[in-house]
Amino acid sequence: MEQEFTLTTELRGDCLIIATAGYVNNVGGESIAREFAGHFENGIKKVIVNLGQSKVVNSIGLSFLIDIVDQLNDAGGKLIFTNLDPAVDKMLTIMGLFQFAGKESSVDDALKEFFV
Amino acid sequence: MKDPVTLKISLPKIPDIELVAIEGLERLAHNLGIANEKIGEAKVLVTEAIINALEHSGAAHPEVIVEFTMTRQELTILVSDYGKGFDPSSVKDPDLKAKMKSRNKRGWGLKIMKTMSDDFHLESTKEGTKVSIKKRLT
Repeated sequence: MEQEFTLTTELRGDCLIIATAGYVNNVGGESIAREFAGHFENGIKKVIVNLGQSKVVNSIGLSFLIDIVDQLNDAGGKLIFTNLDPAVDKMLTIMGLFQFAGKESSVDDALKEFFV
Repeated sequence: MKDPVTLKISLPKIPDIELVAIEGLERLAHNLGIANEKIGEAKVLVTEAIINALEHSGAAHPEVIVEFTMTRQELTILVSDYGKGFDPSSVKDPDLKAKMKSRNKRGWGLKIMKTMSDDFHLESTKEGTKVSIKKRLT
């Protein structure tokens, strides 16, 4: 059975890294949004969301990420997804989210994208 | 070639109940020697079909019947509810730009199911809604 949703965060300079594990459903999506909001209020505009340990996500959970991407874009920031399971990658592609957010294979690659 | 295997389950509306179906799907796949990575998109289809049915059935006590029939080549997913039904033509494809500026960011399930599946049928009447999905596994 898919594990319970958990989330860890890390700040690297002015970049927030959110790593999830387990099922990203409405509760998981809301947790990500809440974590993001706390840092966004403090001026963080570079965000990496590592979904590598979330093999099952649903569209309700992902809908919370639309809001984050929108807020970042309006503020001149950016969100980069990393470590995507191919099926999750396809969901985000179908939703069109990569028009407004980035995608990298690893957190290190995303950090390079932000700091080059 | 192994015979098709079928799993039929009835799911009540309780949080994350779709994970029970996902586990069943994984066990069917394992039984047929299908690698987990081959069923990633099938797991998405099952999840979306179940949460859609449970959320929108409009039944007093929502319950969905889920039936998988799996061969090494193909998975058929049937999801039925006994809710009030809806008019599928009234559901417009979501547009991301519009969603980004809307309060309601949800409503992606049907689009994801239609796009990710190899065959998708939805039939809805006042007695309920049936979704039939085929997904190639090769």
